[in-house]
Amino acid sequence: MDNDLLGNPTTEVERELLEVYERLQTLAAREDAPPCVERNAKKALSCVWQAVNDLGLRFEQLPDLL
Amino acid sequence: MDTPYWNPKTETLPRPDLDRLKLHKLRGLCEWAQAHSPFHRRKFEQAGFSPDQLNSLDDLRRIPIMTRDEWMANQAEKPLFGDLITAPRENAIRYHLTSGTSGRQPLRVLDGTKDWEWIAEMWCYGFWGFGVRPTDTVFFAFSYGSFIGFWGAHYCCEKIGALVLPSGNMTTENRVRQIVEMDATTVCATPTYALRMAQVAREHDLDLPGSAVDKLIVSGEPAGSIPAVKKMLEEQWGAKCGDTAGMTEIGTIMIFECSHQPGGTHIIEDHFIEEVVDSETLEPVGYGELGERVVTSFGRGFIPLLRYRTGDQVKKVPADTCSCGRNGDIYEGGIMGRTDDMKLIRGTNVYPRAVEAIVREYDAIDEFQIRIWRKDNVQDEITVQVEFKPDAEGQSDEVLKTLGKDLARNHEGLRFNVEKADAGSLPRFELKAKRLKDERTYGN
Repeated sequence: MDNDLLGNPTTEVERELLEVYERLQTLAAREDAPPCVERNAKKALSCVWQAVNDLGLRFEQLPDLL
Repeated sequence: MDTPYWNPKTETLPRPDLDRLKLHKLRGLCEWAQAHSPFHRRKFEQAGFSPDQLNSLDDLRRIPIMTRDEWMANQAEKPLFGDLITAPRENAIRYHLTSGTSGRQPLRVLDGTKDWEWIAEMWCYGFWGFGVRPTDTVFFAFSYGSFIGFWGAHYCCEKIGALVLPSGNMTTENRVRQIVEMDATTVCATPTYALRMAQVAREHDLDLPGSAVDKLIVSGEPAGSIPAVKKMLEEQWGAKCGDTAGMTEIGTIMIFECSHQPGGTHIIEDHFIEEVVDSETLEPVGYGELGERVVTSFGRGFIPLLRYRTGDQVKKVPADTCSCGRNGDIYEGGIMGRTDDMKLIRGTNVYPRAVEAIVREYDAIDEFQIRIWRKDNVQDEITVQVEFKPDAEGQSDEVLKTLGKDLARNHEGLRFNVEKADAGSLPRFELKAKRLKDERTYGN
């Protein structure tokens, strides 16, 4: 989490964003979550992906959430 | 944070860093496409290309060009969506169709949750860059159908936090009334329809220039970057007019005009690679030269678009042509036309956009149509029918004469027939205008 895709150190905001992104990935992948958790976590993840991608922190596809 | 940029970090990256970021994304997208899209896998194999060959952005040219004809053939061969898509349709949340302006079979496109959010995100770059803020009230003169149009812009404004006024199937008069009544500050429409709304406002004594509207954001037609049309729009609305352009094949916009209005549209370079090539040789052309857009889009995982030939004609100039500080190069004059829009009349190339640019220089003209026909089954003729504003009927004879000369002078002396049409007789358009009728028949 220390560097962006260009190898530059991440800022405090970027580190916090990446933490949220990774926690949402974990939450969205759970199979025991009720629909209200699963679908909202996926929706939130798709939003946070935008900021992570915009800032050049990660670039990856989310196979379940294309 | 008070900033003119939606994404200050990457919109102002120095060019070498921006290119490194694009290369990283390009490799990632190619790997994804190779692994999940049979369509791309076949094309890569046929071209002897593999993503590990991408060591610099120049290696982009190793990737095979993709065409709309290939895509259409793929969808026809494997209905409904072909095997370009990287996931089953169950993963999608949206279905849209190309508008089919060029008369061909529409393409079917799918988007999932993340891609659909990305589509709105690209509009955010443009809308924020033109000055839309959470305090704005944004009116969409849009019918919300299967044509993707302003759908992404609608969700962009919700994301920005603006108050959104969707107008759906309202009449033009009711739209204009709501714009005034609700103190809309921003209006989104095609250039043609924005002119139509201004006309209807005048007919009903609604004062658009005196209304709260200060931003008019147009899309869907090249006219938004034609200076004469932009001038008309800005005068008739009393607002700044900003151009944007996108395409259903990428789902969103790839260029936008910033609030500095540099006479063109910035490329969103951290999400797209925009090449400009010679249509015949496919070799890149330099800054300032007219060529065809070829787009690679990083954001749509469902439908990876790699080096897609668009048919759009553009002229790229460096980013620093604009004083806004963005790193995105600019398409001077926006989308300047289509390679397949060109009409050949008695040996002269005629572009409808160029004709429109000339016609719109005349304040007296309200609406027009171009008709191409064949005289005695031998000679091609071009006729421009013009409708005059009610208060300009007295100028019609003089305008018809001068317009005919102007059109000829700008088309290597080609004679244009210029005719007056009755008031209200020519069609008006809400979405993409169809002002050209080619009545010639071929092969019989």
